[in-house]
Amino acid sequence: MSAYIPVIGLEIHAELLTKSKVFCTCSAEFGGDKNTRCCPVCSGMPGTLPIINQTAVEYAVKAGFALGCGINKFSVFDRKNYFYPDLPKAYQISQLNLPLCINGLVPIEYEENGEKKTKNIRINRIHLEEDAGKLIHDDLNGVSLADYNRCGIPLIEIVTEPDIGSAEEAKAFVEKISLLLQYAGVCDCKMEQGSLRCDVNISIMKPTDTEFGTRAEIKNLNSIKAIGRAIDFEIYRQGKLLDMGKRVVQETRRFDDNRGETKSMRSKEDAHDYRYFPEPDILQVNFTDEDLDAIRAKLPEMPYERLERYLKNGLSETDAKIIVNQKILSDFFDAAVKAYNNPKSVCNFLIGEMMRRINLGEVSLENLPFTAEQFAKLVEMADTDKVSKNDAKSVFRTMCEKGGDPEEIAKAEGLLISNDTGKVAEVIEKVLAANEKAVAQYTGGDQKVFGFLMGQCTKELKGVCTPKVIKEELEKKLKSL
Amino acid sequence: MDLEMVRYLSQLGKLSFTDDELKKAAEDMTSIIEIMDTIKEIDIVYDPLKDNHNVYLGGLRKDEAMDSFPTEKILKNAVNSENCFVVPKVVE
Amino acid sequence: MDITSLKIRDMREMLDKKEVSAKELADAYLERINNVDGKLESYITVTADEAHAAAEKAQQAIDKGEASALTGIPLAIKDNICTDGVKTTCASKMLEDFVPPYNATVMEKLNAADIVMLGKTSMDEFAMGGSTQTSAFKKTKNPYDLGRVPGGSSGGSAAAVSASLCAAALGSDTGGSIRQPASFCGVTGLKPTYGRVSRYGLVAFASSLDQIGPIAKDAHDCAIILNAISGYDYHDGTSAKRDVPDFTEKIGQSISGMKIAIPKEFYAEGIDADVREAVEKAAKWYESQGAVLVDCSMPSLKYAVAAYYLIASAEASSNLSRYDGIKYGHRSEKGDSYNDLICNSRSEGFGDEVKRRILLGNYALSSGYYDAYYGKAMALKQRIREEYESIFQKCDIILTPTAPTVAYGVNENISDPAKMYQADICTVTVNIASLPAISTPCGYDSKGMPIGMSIIGRHWDEASIIQAADAYEKQFERVPAKI
Repeated sequence: MSAYIPVIGLEIHAELLTKSKVFCTCSAEFGGDKNTRCCPVCSGMPGTLPIINQTAVEYAVKAGFALGCGINKFSVFDRKNYFYPDLPKAYQISQLNLPLCINGLVPIEYEENGEKKTKNIRINRIHLEEDAGKLIHDDLNGVSLADYNRCGIPLIEIVTEPDIGSAEEAKAFVEKISLLLQYAGVCDCKMEQGSLRCDVNISIMKPTDTEFGTRAEIKNLNSIKAIGRAIDFEIYRQGKLLDMGKRVVQETRRFDDNRGETKSMRSKEDAHDYRYFPEPDILQVNFTDEDLDAIRAKLPEMPYERLERYLKNGLSETDAKIIVNQKILSDFFDAAVKAYNNPKSVCNFLIGEMMRRINLGEVSLENLPFTAEQFAKLVEMADTDKVSKNDAKSVFRTMCEKGGDPEEIAKAEGLLISNDTGKVAEVIEKVLAANEKAVAQYTGGDQKVFGFLMGQCTKELKGVCTPKVIKEELEKKLKSL
Repeated sequence: MDLEMVRYLSQLGKLSFTDDELKKAAEDMTSIIEIMDTIKEIDIVYDPLKDNHNVYLGGLRKDEAMDSFPTEKILKNAVNSENCFVVPKVVE
Repeated sequence: MDITSLKIRDMREMLDKKEVSAKELADAYLERINNVDGKLESYITVTADEAHAAAEKAQQAIDKGEASALTGIPLAIKDNICTDGVKTTCASKMLEDFVPPYNATVMEKLNAADIVMLGKTSMDEFAMGGSTQTSAFKKTKNPYDLGRVPGGSSGGSAAAVSASLCAAALGSDTGGSIRQPASFCGVTGLKPTYGRVSRYGLVAFASSLDQIGPIAKDAHDCAIILNAISGYDYHDGTSAKRDVPDFTEKIGQSISGMKIAIPKEFYAEGIDADVREAVEKAAKWYESQGAVLVDCSMPSLKYAVAAYYLIASAEASSNLSRYDGIKYGHRSEKGDSYNDLICNSRSEGFGDEVKRRILLGNYALSSGYYDAYYGKAMALKQRIREEYESIFQKCDIILTPTAPTVAYGVNENISDPAKMYQADICTVTVNIASLPAISTPCGYDSKGMPIGMSIIGRHWDEASIIQAADAYEKQFERVPAKI
């Protein structure tokens, strides 16, 4: 088989986190009983008109800033006409020639053959559009049931240039986009719930070719893993076709997750002639420089900014990246550091203990049974010797199981260290009295027995005092003899 | 306008015609297109900026969710089942 | 005196003076509908029960001294304006049984003013046509001659007003659909500036051109209704956020010194001599009153019909795609697949003219033809606007015929769609340029058929065209329809 160069472009659909839908006032929340989040507008009743949501426009622009795009200060909405039972108006309000955002650039980092690589992926455009409804297939009665709750949820479509060269790059890119959108606060990027979806355009060419090959479009991939697998399969499939002297057909394909294969979608009878034209019901949207400055100012701290901050706080690059690359983890970290200002220490416990428990599947970041403040308190207790480093782990295990305040857990489990010096002096007195021989040896110059005496004291003072304090007190006492 | 074109347009518009209807439609369309073709002699280009109504971001609808419609009102003009619109089975 | 032939403001006075009750007024119209509409066929739905309930409510407001200008006034509503709980068919088999779950904004406003809705009037199917003969239900006749058409598409509304089957009515105007039937039926019809009246709840034909407006016995009554339905609406992003004046405010002011444009292309070949002479006579009358006639030109008028039909049909093809028989409307018995079901539903539900517009619209937008047709039409729209702007730099209003002919026979023209389209030449540019215009009778031909003239105003200046139309009406001797 000869080597081919894959040429890949992505179209990513991201649902925006607005309160209401993009063209009506129905709730844009995920879920809901069937057809309970509908009104005459989003169910396409005759005579209804769209009224565009300011926040949806603002979020799309925010996404544009997050992805390094320029913003069209004059932006036009268009109708994309096609019939499908999940699209009640039989047209989707979208944008064709003058989308909100254009010409972005997103740097990605990925590993290939064990080697770290970086690359810039160009963004062609980001436009605002509306989501379609859902079809539930009722095989028993041989019908499909249409639920329009999702109709009109605001979507942005992010379109890349064909800059992506492999499954690894594609996965890294989608992960990066997901991260940027979450940091921008415009999308929760839950691929399993469909709030982030990806279409892949892919063709292959020989290194000597001057033109791209014929591309196939793989629709609606809903996990990072599926994106990678679908691309790898498609590279293999198209390569095999070309090797056999056959042609790649330009078509839409679907990825079968179970079989790991892409399949041609039964070609719809109609030609894909969407007859776009300017949406007459929505006036064009203009932005002043002040509008755009205001939106830019609302953009929260982005991942690279957080990374810089963490490095400044003394975190290692590896640790900082692990934290930044999951916004929810990073937010947790920031909240913990706010409660206990020792970033390195919090980081160590987070990466060491918490990530371990998460990776074991004992807890998930989405549903932690304790707060960041409680977590911070535990780290602080370990740092200030209120519990031993070892016991802190045991307290944390209990927190993961049941939640709760670390101090109370430590107390209940008898792990709390009081460092009561009166009690220490009393115990040392007792131990020394009971081991006169050893004391004599020590005062006689045999320092080795110190370890034995220390051990005796520690046994008696477990949970009361840290070894450090015992050692200090014991040394003081012995010297005074 | 030829039959092939009319057939294509009818597919786009989800209309089905009998052969006779298609022929009649082609005739009608031919005489209609004749009128439409008068604009071919003038050479001008549409400029979207000229249609700007100066609506700015601040003038758009504030993002507030309000109550939706009762499901039965949404469905009352439709064949429905399980609170959904019933469509012949769609195969992808 | 027959109370049904009165103007709104005369009825107002009688209602407020308790010379007639809202119920008596409603009943007078309902009785007349009962007697006359069998041959006129102007109503698709008569809402007698609702009218009685509304009259009762109106009477309470009147008794409390809380009547507004339209309280208790019996009105008819074109059947493409959504009425909550009352069938809204668009005169199409497609929507034969469609009962909207909501009110159009204009209905909310009229109901708040306690009007009495008598029913829903016939029209060309989905407002596509100029004769009301494409109605799937009631092919309305002209009250002046039952062998002729009432015009269209708001033919039911215009005929009902003309025959005194309502005090006034709402119509909608996409390319002349208020003005032309008003002209054919010898009444006054006003198409407001685009954006003046909310389109929310008006079943869309061509969104960038549609506008709801009144048809009434005269310009003053039109102004009273326009006062009630105008204004920005949260539900219509294309409605204008601007103050609404009192549209009667200029009525009675002198028209002396007013500059009236006479664009020569509107008086050229293709306009019947009777029509041209009547409008020219009206122009002379204005001049006699001190107005200044200004000759001017609209070179792009020859492209207007094409530009209009391309834009309107393109938008219509998209607007009408939602009728698939799934969510509402006619659902075919045939078709096991989604595609077959919707093709059959649409083919059975839509009439020939609607289908032609869908084909034309798809043609104008389809890949490979877009630039030559839709794109060019949009460019022409801008050109036509500019030509109007240049006329309005020198003039205050424009005077033109409303239609090239008087009402024609019910069987004429129908078979030749292309010829029908050409007949819209006098009205379509007003919609293309988003301008307000009013049509009012200015004469009768030798057979006694009414002739209408159109007065076109600047954007948002409905008050001036109402003023000018009212001035003419006050000295014009109307011959009411004898039906």
